[in-house]
Amino acid sequence: MQELTLKQTLNSLSGFIPETVLIATVIVCLFLDLILRKKSVIVAVAGIVGLLVSGYFAYLQFGMREVIFTGMAVVDPFAVFFKILFVVSTIFVIIFTISSKEIQESTHHNEHVYLMVAMALGAFLMASASNMIMMYLSLETVSISSYILSGYTKRIKRSSEAAMKYVIYGAASSGIMIYGMSLIYGFTGSMNIYEISAILAKSAVTGNPVIVMSIIMILAGFGYKISSVPFHFWTPDVYEGAPVPVTAFLAVTSSAAGFAVMIRFFAVTFLQNNILLNGKLQIIPGINWTEIIVVLSVASMIIGNFTAVWQQSVKRMLAYSSIAQGGYIMLGMTMATQQGLTAMLVYLMGYLFMTLGAFYVVILVANKVDSDELVDMRGFGYKSPVIAVFMAVFMFSLAGIPSTVGFVGKFYLFSALIESNMVWLALVAVLNSVVSLFFYIKVLKYMFLMKPEEELTPKYQYGIGNYAVLLLLALPVMFFGLYFAPLVKIAEYSAILIGLK
Amino acid sequence: MQKYFILIVALPLLGFLINIFFGKKINSEKFSGWLSSLFVLIPFLIGISMLFQLLKLPPESRKIVFNYFNWISVGNFNVDYSFLIDPLSLVMILVVTGIGFLIHVYSIGYMHGDDGFARFFSFLNLFIFAMLHLILADNFLVVFLGWEGVGLCSYLLIGFWYEKKFTGDAAKKAFIVNRIGDFGFMTAMFLVFANFGTLNISAFTGSIAGFAVNTPLLVTIALLFFVGATGKSAQIPLFVWLPDAMAGPTPVSALIHAATMVTAGIYLIARTSLLYALAPTASTVILIVGIATAILSATIALKQNDIKKILAYSTVSQLGFMFIALGTHSYVAAVFHLVTHAFFKALMFLGSGSVIHGMHEEQDIRKMGGLKDKMKITYITFLIGAIAISGIPPFAGFFSKDEILYKTFINAGIIPYLLVLITAGFTAFYMFRLIGLTFFGKPRYDAHIHPHESPGTMTIPLIILAVLSVTGGFIGLPHLLGFNVLDHWFEPVFKNAEMVIKGYTPEAEHSASVEIILIFVSIIVASVAIYISFKKYSKQDKFTEEKGFGKVLENKYYLDEIYDATVVNPIYKTSESFLWKIFDVKIIDGLVNGIAGFSSRLSLDWRKIQSGIIHDYAVLAVSGVILIILFFLFK
Repeated sequence: MQELTLKQTLNSLSGFIPETVLIATVIVCLFLDLILRKKSVIVAVAGIVGLLVSGYFAYLQFGMREVIFTGMAVVDPFAVFFKILFVVSTIFVIIFTISSKEIQESTHHNEHVYLMVAMALGAFLMASASNMIMMYLSLETVSISSYILSGYTKRIKRSSEAAMKYVIYGAASSGIMIYGMSLIYGFTGSMNIYEISAILAKSAVTGNPVIVMSIIMILAGFGYKISSVPFHFWTPDVYEGAPVPVTAFLAVTSSAAGFAVMIRFFAVTFLQNNILLNGKLQIIPGINWTEIIVVLSVASMIIGNFTAVWQQSVKRMLAYSSIAQGGYIMLGMTMATQQGLTAMLVYLMGYLFMTLGAFYVVILVANKVDSDELVDMRGFGYKSPVIAVFMAVFMFSLAGIPSTVGFVGKFYLFSALIESNMVWLALVAVLNSVVSLFFYIKVLKYMFLMKPEEELTPKYQYGIGNYAVLLLLALPVMFFGLYFAPLVKIAEYSAILIGLK
Repeated sequence: MQKYFILIVALPLLGFLINIFFGKKINSEKFSGWLSSLFVLIPFLIGISMLFQLLKLPPESRKIVFNYFNWISVGNFNVDYSFLIDPLSLVMILVVTGIGFLIHVYSIGYMHGDDGFARFFSFLNLFIFAMLHLILADNFLVVFLGWEGVGLCSYLLIGFWYEKKFTGDAAKKAFIVNRIGDFGFMTAMFLVFANFGTLNISAFTGSIAGFAVNTPLLVTIALLFFVGATGKSAQIPLFVWLPDAMAGPTPVSALIHAATMVTAGIYLIARTSLLYALAPTASTVILIVGIATAILSATIALKQNDIKKILAYSTVSQLGFMFIALGTHSYVAAVFHLVTHAFFKALMFLGSGSVIHGMHEEQDIRKMGGLKDKMKITYITFLIGAIAISGIPPFAGFFSKDEILYKTFINAGIIPYLLVLITAGFTAFYMFRLIGLTFFGKPRYDAHIHPHESPGTMTIPLIILAVLSVTGGFIGLPHLLGFNVLDHWFEPVFKNAEMVIKGYTPEAEHSASVEIILIFVSIIVASVAIYISFKKYSKQDKFTEEKGFGKVLENKYYLDEIYDATVVNPIYKTSESFLWKIFDVKIIDGLVNGIAGFSSRLSLDWRKIQSGIIHDYAVLAVSGVILIILFFLFK
């Protein structure tokens, strides 16, 4: 390990500007909240501005490849890609909180804003961490804010219950993870993933069952963040109990951050860096981690999709759907190719817009009918046709119907699988998408084909702002669904991690 | 100017978006109608400016490619969004936007007062947008996009008055029949990509250049594309949708189902002329189908009484003529007839719209008569169209039809020639039956109907189209009379195909005497047909039920019934008795219910696992970890 000198620290700060801006934003929002002492949009606006500034600085980092803070974190296009993804999703979620009745009617003032920004900060660090300690800490940063936000509406019993479950489950998972990390440290004597990789590649520890064990244990931590089976048990309960904007945040930002750290951990640590054989990255011999991912991925797809079919609550359905979506995304890791990584990034970008969109519609519906049950969505298409049509766009995209971004993501994932001769896996995934079509379309069936219990008129009234937000989410879904070359280019560029060529 | 070329598709799209989203809010017919028309006029002017650009270039390099962006790139599958402008696509642009503009203006008058005014114009703009993609794209996939796009617009516009059941049925029929054609198109595309690794049209035609004549692969691809063409361009066996498509508003019939969309198949074959030159077997099939379609539909038109149905069958028949030209490798003649036909058929459809408008939605020509004094402009322009289609010099139809007749005689022989000649006679006959019954004789309509001439927005397009129907033929004068502009203009497009054809057909002696004789024969046939028909029908005012063969013709050879009996009903019966009652209910439902039963039992158990009790979850997660570890350690 290098000495951590003051000079190095100062030099590293230049690669740490987006994070610094976020820290400042958290503090500013905190103080604004203390000064105002009432609900106010100003805090949310301040948070959004801070995120935008941070996003701008992150954007300036595109193209940088640097190791900062003596190997604690790195700045590379991969990290920047995720940072921008986090900024976009966090901004949307903060906007969601403004239109969410649940949040606005809670006893708190504006705490959710800086908690969300703090979570974004944790996510930033997750995407760039290159040291196991750093990975663990950033993961916990995200988790702790999530625990608080899940129980944000503390007068509502199921919200508090969700928070409680989340805390205990999270603690257990990260406990398992850090045990796995300590095992790896015990073997290699290093916390830095690049050094670990080099040691593993050289030494005779490869193939040792304890390494396999520690990988699976670490996966418990990552798997809980991305709600992969069998670490997903918290997901339905928490998604259902937490306020919807928080649920959206967990499903998108937190889960994407989990993927970021997981991809970096596996791609750097357990691939032989700089060795390309027929365009394929080489797995360190004896550690078949890709097989583990295959198992988790298939299990997530099947359990997620088949359980989603039976859900009556849209939030719960979306919880299982996000478990299944996580399964699809994990497919990208199973062949350890650049193509697979690219496909994952494309999918994640699309996943952001379609999932946020679906949750936003749930918020808007809940604002009117005070429920997230499917039966209460009956005839929503008559009461508010525009919003129902938007929901159709998001549902089609989640199911992977062509001309939406969801299709593009699946298309790239499956074609990467087929190019790596993993046809059977692609087949499993395709069959799973067929199953998923059932419950996504079921929402539309309730909305369009069933008459509401009450009168058809008056129609629900929504502000122009609500439509604007929906449009902002739906446009990328359709635009990238038709013209995806730029998205794929960016993903291709970002899929080259620092240290990997 | 080149910088702004993208406007040619961007403006119609914009017009579509504005009208579909804000048309109803703005609620101004003037705004919607003229905005849409303007957004078609500007592309027409862009087309004109491109014409001058092309003329500035030497003939052999008259080809401009606009490469906009890489649309899809997966592995070795690359699709560029690029436009190709050459003499062929330019002529099509001018026809589509020029006639499109006139029909937009006409529709402002025709659709006046309709509830769906803005919706109508938004669909028209969308149609122009899609059609221009079909024409301009240099890639089969983008062509296909336009191909499906115009199909969609056709569907939407046929069923425009969706409150009536039969319009919906007609729209569905058009859509479903076209699916069969699309299947051919898609299969052809797959074959092209699988064998040539590209969907770029120029690259494809470049790489087939060295192939031997009648290579099975090329014949297959050519025939499959032709299957696509029979769907869109209404040829046997897929032509049945076009007559029903007349359920849509009349301007739609003029624009989509006469002048532009239905010529897409002809355009597609002309664009890939080299492929068809290399596959003479496929060309022979095209010739046979073309002749059969032309005769069949011309004879049906003899006994129809709905003014639009006559024009519809006439369109099918004229499209048959174009395919005859393609089948005899006379690509210039096909495109020439496409252009002149667009003029006079659009004219006659709009004229029929004007008649229907003036007669308060009456379409049966037996209930008309004597309209020539009430609707002067409509009458004169319609008459010009009828003369043009009948092939009387110097009207436009004469030159193009004559060229097809001449080429058929030289390239295909005397029997095909005679068949085409007879069909041309039928054409003149049914057209003047229409003229006679509609505009001459005593009025046969109810006394309370007062036919009136249509407003200026409708008659001015008629006049312009009439002028074009008179003069449009001079771009392609017979060799006999001098210089053929069109031959010269298209030379760079078709020269590769011509070279191949020269390789296997002996150079035909160009004989002026044969040409003169053929011209006189066709003029005589047309004149005689007109004379007999006009004499008989301009005075008829009693109508008896058709008997014998006439009845067969009136009922369209019972083709719809035959299709129902041989294709539709068997499918329906199988669907009902096997697919539904056995396959669906027993197998699919059984399977689904079985799975459902299984998984609901499973999910009951699963719900027990998902108990909501947190220490259960912790135990489960940990046992999951242990299970996976054991699996990997002992596998």
